[in-house]
Order: sequence, then C-alpha cells, then structure tokens
Amino acid sequence: MENLKTNSSRRTFLKTSLLAGGGLMIHFSGLAKLVLPHTEGGQAAEQWTEINGYVKISPKNVITILCPNPEFGQNVMTSLPMIVAEELDVDWKKVVVEMGPHDNVKLGPQFTGGSNSMRMYWKPLREAGATARHMLKLAAAETWSVPVDEITTRQGMLYHDKTSKKATYGDVAAKAAGMPVPKGIKLKDVKDFNVVRKSQKNVEGAKLVSGKPLFGLDYQHEGMLIAMIHHPPAFGMTHKSFDATATRKMPGIKDVFTIKVYEDGFAQGGFDVRTFNDLIVVVGKTTWEVMNARKKLVVEWMPIGDVKNTMAGRDGKREVVVPGALESTTTQLLKMREYEKMPAQQLRKDGDPETAFKNAAQIIERSYDAPFLAHNCMEPMNFFAHVTDDKALLVGPVQAPGWTEPTLAKVLNLPPDKIEIQMTRMGGGFGRRAYGHYLVEAALISRKAKAPVKLIYSREDDTTYGIYRPMYTATYRAALDADKNLIAFHVKGGGIPEHAIHANRFPAGAVDHYLAEGWEIPSNITIGAFRAPRSNFNAAAEQCFLDELAEAMGKDPIALRLELLKRAKENPVGKNNEYDADRYAGVLELVREKSGWNSAVPKPFKRGVAAYFCHNSYAAHVVDLVLKDGQPYVERVFSAVDCGIVINPDAAINMVQGAVVDGIGNSLYGGLTHKDGVVQEQNFHSYRLIRMHEAPKSIDVSFVQNDIDPTGLGEPPFPPVFGAVANALYKATGKRHYQQPFTLSNSRI
Amino acid sequence: MIANQFNGHKHEGTLRSVLVMAVLMLIIGFMAFGSTIGHKRKVMQGKPIAAKDSVASVKAFEKVYAVLMSPRCMNCHPAGDVPLQGDDSHLHAMLPKRGTDGKGVYAMKCMNCHQPTNTPGLHTPPGNPNWHLPPADMKMVFEGRSPYELAKQLVDPKQNGHKDIKKLKEHADDDLVLAGWNMGEARTLPPMSHAEFKKAWITWLNTGAFAPKEQ
Amino acid sequence: MITLNINQKTYKLDLDPNTPLLWVLRDHVGLVGTKYGCGVAQCGACVVHLDGEAVRSCVTKASRAVGKKVVTIEGLSENNSHPLQKTWLELDVSQCGYCQAGQIMSAAVLLRENKNPTDQDINDAMAGNICRCGTYLRIKEAIKFAAAAGSGEKV
Repeated sequence: MENLKTNSSRRTFLKTSLLAGGGLMIHFSGLAKLVLPHTEGGQAAEQWTEINGYVKISPKNVITILCPNPEFGQNVMTSLPMIVAEELDVDWKKVVVEMGPHDNVKLGPQFTGGSNSMRMYWKPLREAGATARHMLKLAAAETWSVPVDEITTRQGMLYHDKTSKKATYGDVAAKAAGMPVPKGIKLKDVKDFNVVRKSQKNVEGAKLVSGKPLFGLDYQHEGMLIAMIHHPPAFGMTHKSFDATATRKMPGIKDVFTIKVYEDGFAQGGFDVRTFNDLIVVVGKTTWEVMNARKKLVVEWMPIGDVKNTMAGRDGKREVVVPGALESTTTQLLKMREYEKMPAQQLRKDGDPETAFKNAAQIIERSYDAPFLAHNCMEPMNFFAHVTDDKALLVGPVQAPGWTEPTLAKVLNLPPDKIEIQMTRMGGGFGRRAYGHYLVEAALISRKAKAPVKLIYSREDDTTYGIYRPMYTATYRAALDADKNLIAFHVKGGGIPEHAIHANRFPAGAVDHYLAEGWEIPSNITIGAFRAPRSNFNAAAEQCFLDELAEAMGKDPIALRLELLKRAKENPVGKNNEYDADRYAGVLELVREKSGWNSAVPKPFKRGVAAYFCHNSYAAHVVDLVLKDGQPYVERVFSAVDCGIVINPDAAINMVQGAVVDGIGNSLYGGLTHKDGVVQEQNFHSYRLIRMHEAPKSIDVSFVQNDIDPTGLGEPPFPPVFGAVANALYKATGKRHYQQPFTLSNSRI
Repeated sequence: MIANQFNGHKHEGTLRSVLVMAVLMLIIGFMAFGSTIGHKRKVMQGKPIAAKDSVASVKAFEKVYAVLMSPRCMNCHPAGDVPLQGDDSHLHAMLPKRGTDGKGVYAMKCMNCHQPTNTPGLHTPPGNPNWHLPPADMKMVFEGRSPYELAKQLVDPKQNGHKDIKKLKEHADDDLVLAGWNMGEARTLPPMSHAEFKKAWITWLNTGAFAPKEQ
Repeated sequence: MITLNINQKTYKLDLDPNTPLLWVLRDHVGLVGTKYGCGVAQCGACVVHLDGEAVRSCVTKASRAVGKKVVTIEGLSENNSHPLQKTWLELDVSQCGYCQAGQIMSAAVLLRENKNPTDQDINDAMAGNICRCGTYLRIKEAIKFAAAAGSGEKV
C-alpha cells in the first residue's frame, strides 16, 4: 500500500512529485468544468466535469481518459490510460481515450522517449485515478448520507450495500468536482489489479485498420498549403545562389523563398539539432505539384566551411565549431583508426588495469565498428503550422513537444502560451522526432508564406536530412591470468561525433581492474537519439566480445556472464554501477531455461546469446540462426525481459517482438554511408530494411514476473539483438563479425 | 575496413562475368541450328536465308550475347524465379516471384509497380505495358548461360517460346526487347544501340545461327 | 478533368492525369488512409486495389485508373468487417500502424487468389510491404487466421 500526498486548495488539485531519476514535477490540472466537443460512440457534445488532468467523467458516465504522452507505436495511448482506469475502477471497455493537448503544466513532461513513459507516469496516474475514485465515493457518501468507508466501487459504479443504493460515477461527478481534494488515498494492491497486467487492445486499432486520419501527414486545415524544403545535397554545403524562375511557373506553385532556421548567435538547446540552417522552400497547393516544381530549381551549391554554433548550457552559452569538411565513409573510418591510437578521456578506472595487463598471461583484444543509422520512420518528417502575428498553431508528429515549444517561442518571438502544439499519432519515431527542427521550419515557412502550411519531407529528404545514430567504434581488451581468470577489462570507444561508452555498466563492477575511455571526432553529420542510444552499439560490441572471451576462457557464455554478475553482486568493484546484478542475471537465467540452452542445439540451428541493461530494464535473447542460400536467417528467437510490472502483456510481447525484428534488420542490413558529404542510401532501394521473409518464424517472449514498478520497454529489448545475432553468426560461419552490418556477402538477399 | 562493408548490396557475380568470348577461328565442330534440330530443319530449309557463314555468325553472336547478358536484358531472364535488379544484377529487392505466367504473384505482380511507362525520377520502377518475366514453363534463362548455351537455347523452339527464325527476327523489335533501351533515368543502357544489336541479331540468324564453341 | 471510380463513388477531378493516384487520393479526394512511405514502390504503404490488383499508388498515374475501379482501405469493407480487418484487431497487430493499411490491402489480394496460403505464399505476397516496427509475425498470423476463418469471397 502506498499513500498519496497531495496539496489542495478550494478548486485546484495540485500534486507535485519528484520522479525517479529526474527531479521532474507533475502538476495536475484544476478542477474545472469544461465543455468539449465529443462525438465518440455517438455521444453529443456535453458538459464535462474534469476531475483532474487525466480523467473526465460525463454525467452520462462516459469515462474519458486523456493520454498525456505522444503515441508512436509503443502503445502509450492504451497503456497509460489503463493505469488510470485501474485505480479509478472503471470498465475498461467503456473508457474513451483521447490524446491530450500539449500542456506541460497540466499534463507533465509529455515526452515520449528514453523508454520513460511508464516509469514517469506510473505513480502520478495511479494517484490521479485513486484520488478521483475517492472523491466520487465522498460525493456519493454525502448524497446518500452514509459513511464513505461503507461505499464500494465496481466498474464505474458506486454501491452502498446496506441501503442497496447505487449510482454511476457520472451521477455524482459534478458533486465530486466540488469536493476538497483528499489526502492520503491508498493505492490498490498490485495483486488486486484487474485492468493493468491484463491484455487490452490498442485503443486506436479500429481506426488504424480502416484508414482513419490519425497521423501528421493526414492532417487537413482550411486553406492549407504544402511546403517542401530543397536542402543541400551534402553535409557541409549550402546554397550560393538559385534560380526559381522555372519552379514558379509550375502549376500550383505559390511561392519560393528562403528561411534561416536559427539566427546567428541563437543559443541551441540539446534537442535543437538541425542539419542545415539556410533553406530554400517551395510552397504550393498540392504535394505532387510541389514535388515536381522543386525539381525545377536551379541551385548553385558551395561548401559552407567551418560553422560556429552557439550552444545553450548550464554554464551559459558556449561556441562549438562544426567542421566544414565533406566527409566520406572511407575517410571517416581512417580517421577513427588514427584517433583510436591516441590518448583518450578516462571515464572510469578501478584497481590498476595497467599493471594487470602487463602481468597478464593472455590478452584478448578486439575492435568493433558500426555505421551511421537512419531512423527511417515510415511516416516521413512533416508538420503543420499556422503562424500569425500573435499566435501559432502547430499540429503533427512529435516526440517531445515540450522541448520544441521554448525554441519556437524564441524563434517566433511569441510567448509560450500563444503557441499551441497538437500531437498526432506518429508513423514511427525511434528518437528521430525528439528533434523538433521540422516544427521550427514549418512555423517559419507559415509565417513567411502568411498561410497555414504543411511541411512535408520526401523519403529522400527524410533519409538524407537526418539526425542519425552516430558512427561508432570500440576496442575491448581482456587480461587473463595463467588459469584463464579474467583479471582486467579495458574498453576504449570512440565515434563520430560521439563515443558510445557507458562506463558504469556491466562488466564494470565485476572485474577488479577496469578502465573505460572515450574519444570523439567532431563532424558536420548531425546525430541524435536512435532507439536505445549508445546502448544499441555497446550491446553489439561488448556482447560479442564477452562471447569471444567466454570461448577463450573455456566457459559457457551464459555461465561466464552469471559468474561475473555474481561477483558484481557479492563483492562489487567500484561505485556507481548502474545495473542490478540480480535482475540482470534473472533475464539470463530465464532465457537459458526457455531456450533449452543447456540441451543440444536443435538442428539446423546455430545459436547465439546476448543480454543488456539499459533504460532501467533488462533483456536477453537467444537467437537461432541458419544459413539460407548462404545468407544468415534468424529463424527463432527466445527473449527474456525484466521491465518490472508488465502493464499490457500482449502489447508488451508485440513490442519485444518488434524490437527483435528491428534489431535483426539493423544488425544484418542497416547502415548509412557518405561520399563527399552526400548520403549514399537515399531511399529503401539502397537503404535496406528487413522484410517479412527475413523476420523470424517465432519470437518467444517471456517476462520476469515481479512487482517492481514498471521501467522501460520500447528500447531495452533492441540492443542485445545485435550481439545475439553476431554470436549466432559466428557459430554458423566459424568467423567472428566485427563490422556492422553483418551481411555475409554483398548480395542483396 | 572499407566503405562498402557498410552498404554493400552488390551481388557477387558468378557466371555473369563469363563474358569473355574467345571466339576461335576453328569452327569445325560448331553446330549450327539447322543441323541439330532435325524436325525443324525442313522448316528452315524453305526460308530465304543468307548463306551459312559460321565465322560471320559467331562474330555477330558476340554482339548479341553482350547485349542479352547486359543487365537491361538479363535481369528479367534470371536463373531463379526472382528477377534481378541494377547494373550489378542483384536479386530484385522484395523478391517478387515469377508466377506461372511470368507476371508475378498475389500482391506482387509486376504491373503493380511497373507501370505502362517509366515512372519519372531516380530509382523508380521502369515501365512497359507488358512488363513480365518469361513464364514458368518457358523460363528462357540468360543468367549464367555461356555463349554456346545461350545460342543453342535461343534457337530451340522448346526453349525460346516456340519461335521459328522468322519470329525470332521479328522479336528484335518486340516492345519489351525495345524497353531495354528505355529503362528510365540513370539506368545504364545495353552496350550498343538497338539498331546495332538488331543488325547483329539478324546477321547471326541469317548466317546460320551458329553457336560459339563451348569453352 | 478526369473521372475516377473510387470506393464505388464517381469523382470528377480537375488535375494533371500524370498525378500519382496516391496524391489524388490524399490531396484531392481526401482519402488519407493510403499512405506515403517512399514514393518509389519500395515500401507498400500506398497499396490500393486497381481492378482488384494491389498497385502501388505512389507510382500509378491517375490516368491509369480511368475506367477502372479503385478501392482503398476506406472502401475495403464497411465497419471493419473484412476478415483481415477482424483478425488484425483480434491479434492487435499494429504498433505505430502507419504501414498497416497497405499490409491489409496486399493481404486481401493474396487471400482472394489463395484461400489457404502457406508461409511461403504469404512471404511471396507480402515482401513488398515494409513494417518498420517489425510486426511481421502478427501480420502473418492475422493472414492465416483470416484464411482459416474462410476469407476471400468478399475481397
């Protein structure tokens, strides 16, 4: 039982809470009466009583629960409201879910990313539901003049058994709204859950299979024009001059102009990344007309040279020089080979690794490389904007509206409360839509065009104007003594333009002498979060290395990991180890059991294992691979995940299966290369994405059963897939694979 | 560690590279079309064909072979049931299947993507109103065929779609053959013009359709 | 001016007949269930039925559709009654959902032509539809379930 602490005043309901891991504050909304248009299920618009920021109960007992966070396929629009419904005690089937408006004050951070939704909202949403339920009970108690503790609830109904009285929530909703906000409300016992931990269907499923307008690209607005950007063909280029005469003559074209995303000296926040600053824009009536007219632009491009960016930081502004070179993948790799030989920044050191390596009987050293990755969201970047002198409306797919809003306010010189952002469903996100430059672009275009405008990226725009997963490399070294005991571990990682090293993650804490170092190469290739940032490389490299290490030590790869985790638990080395050794071991043990790891591998499979901890969750996979026509095919996968309480089991399985498929695809085929700054893979004909026949026949997903508050699920199952695939591939081919993607030959199949 | 380890989708050619045609002067032992397929011989004998000239014929076939084995022609005459793509003749992305009639299967019929005309833009499907592969019962495989094998196959009615010499000659101007020279933006053309190819094709057939010696 | 039959309705449209059907549907007719994914017939998000065939509307000119019947996801059934829509919901296939209309439209042609598809048949039919979220296992299962439920006829 957990108690809720609230502050309340007459008509407001305010709760502040320190969230795990971040110091974020959650504010609930006031107890206001709202009139909202509502047509779901044939309900006419009616007076709504907003119990709090997350729940609305109509007099007709229609329970509407707002989903605070944007939806990009991780199913938050179903699972977050489920949490409210659980504590509120309503019939889930009768609940209507609406995407909340963007309102960081009322609805919290509203950030979809970092596998944080459940973790951030778990307690606040439960408290919201429980408080609302209690207030309904208080209202009923007052109406019936009976003691509140004699009132029970069941599926949206209030009962007083002694007097046989009953009422719907809706009957007393208005009265409840006037009640003082109670303190100390008890939350349900986890064992009493009957909405959460039961599989509930995607609330937008029916709309999705019938083609209802849900996505940003689907958004329509009176008088809306279409805009496309003609961005430079290469990183490090900008336009010198252009001739739009032919473009302007094309049918449907309204205007051609340039915009500057950030004025000189604009202090960029961490998520204000934008690839190109000076952009040529074509605005017209329809998408096809704009696409065609854009082709008629005659542009002279030129190298932009080194560019100074101003970055906002905790310690004030600082300048960062973005190098102007037109990069190629070969030169990028050669540069990494240079940098990895140079001294690097020490990230963590335990014991005396130098001496340990000097005294080692055997040293194993391996290096791993991975390419830039493009997110390839199926719905390309797009956003609607209607900016006038005094306000701005923006509608579209965005993961972190709250991070872009301050930027919009600065760029447009409008107060934040004059900027309204509406979140549509996203056709994928994977981190890409946390970078709101395309909202800023849309807003600037609308302002200049003096019209409501939808900015659309073509697929090629989306792929070549990306905020990519960086290019990474890492060298791992292990020192063994004469008895083949692991005595020291060293990782030195680098990347363009950042390294991926998580210095405090496993096997840190399990080895007496440990050293982690990192180095970085500045670049003009723009990078950002990509499903499990950094982890998605580490889990590949480190988990391959551990596999090779186990072999050198003559140990089973799972047994070696468990042995190290046992050490990390019983006698941890160093401080700040991020992971819980028991939970880490738990997923390994579970996947070992489910896959029958200790029995002979069934023919014709070749088997690999990997596990990883990130985003507060643990995942392990056993991959069964075959060679089909000489090409690797992952036919079966066993997955074990510990993400605490699984809120929506069937959807969670779907999520893990999807992460596995994504991991197989990216490990075998993913990669983005450059030649003289030009992205070489511009569309799916050359940027290969996994297709149905390449997906496994079965992915068996198991969750560790515990009552730990939920942690991330969108990202954690993804990274270890890379390692498991590589390790199975070794068993199948007898060759270790150190470079991603792991495609065996250059054949396309 | 080289760049194409990241993006390599290139097909490691096997038999394709066997383009080197050491056409020997020695033609004894070369088998002409007419002399190998007995029952067709009579049909052929009635045709007003030019005098057989094995040297000229084999020389002409050299050009024919270079065209037929170029990606624009060979990609739709694959050894398997999946067409090839690109100048490196990799397997067609998304693995469309031949189907019994050569027009694809289910949701993956050729004409679902390949339009009656070329689609504008780079990397878009080239088009033709009759876009298809040879049917399953007459696969007319080019991929992997040696000059000798291809020459023999081309004049064998059981393998060429029941075409006699006249029909074979006419086939040079077939719409889909012509499409090989009109495959949309940025696609490499066959190694010679259609006119030059047609001339070589007719010459080869008129001079006896001799096959180069098997190597 | 061209006349198109879309979901059994006649539309007279003033547009360039070279406009891809995808953009006709989305920008001119207002049917946005058909999605733009790649524009080059690689991803299948834009699949519609043209006289029953699963054409990629991003490369299909409006002129090709003249005199033919266009069916989009919005016109596949009333009230999600197509067997595939039912099994898609039953198995809760979608994640982000962006590609699913195209997946269903492709699968519908498969089931019309093959009432009892094998795994290989499904792979052959569906390899042109990319799902970036990786819901392929459920898509396949949903197709099998729909086949088992005796689909096809209404496709």
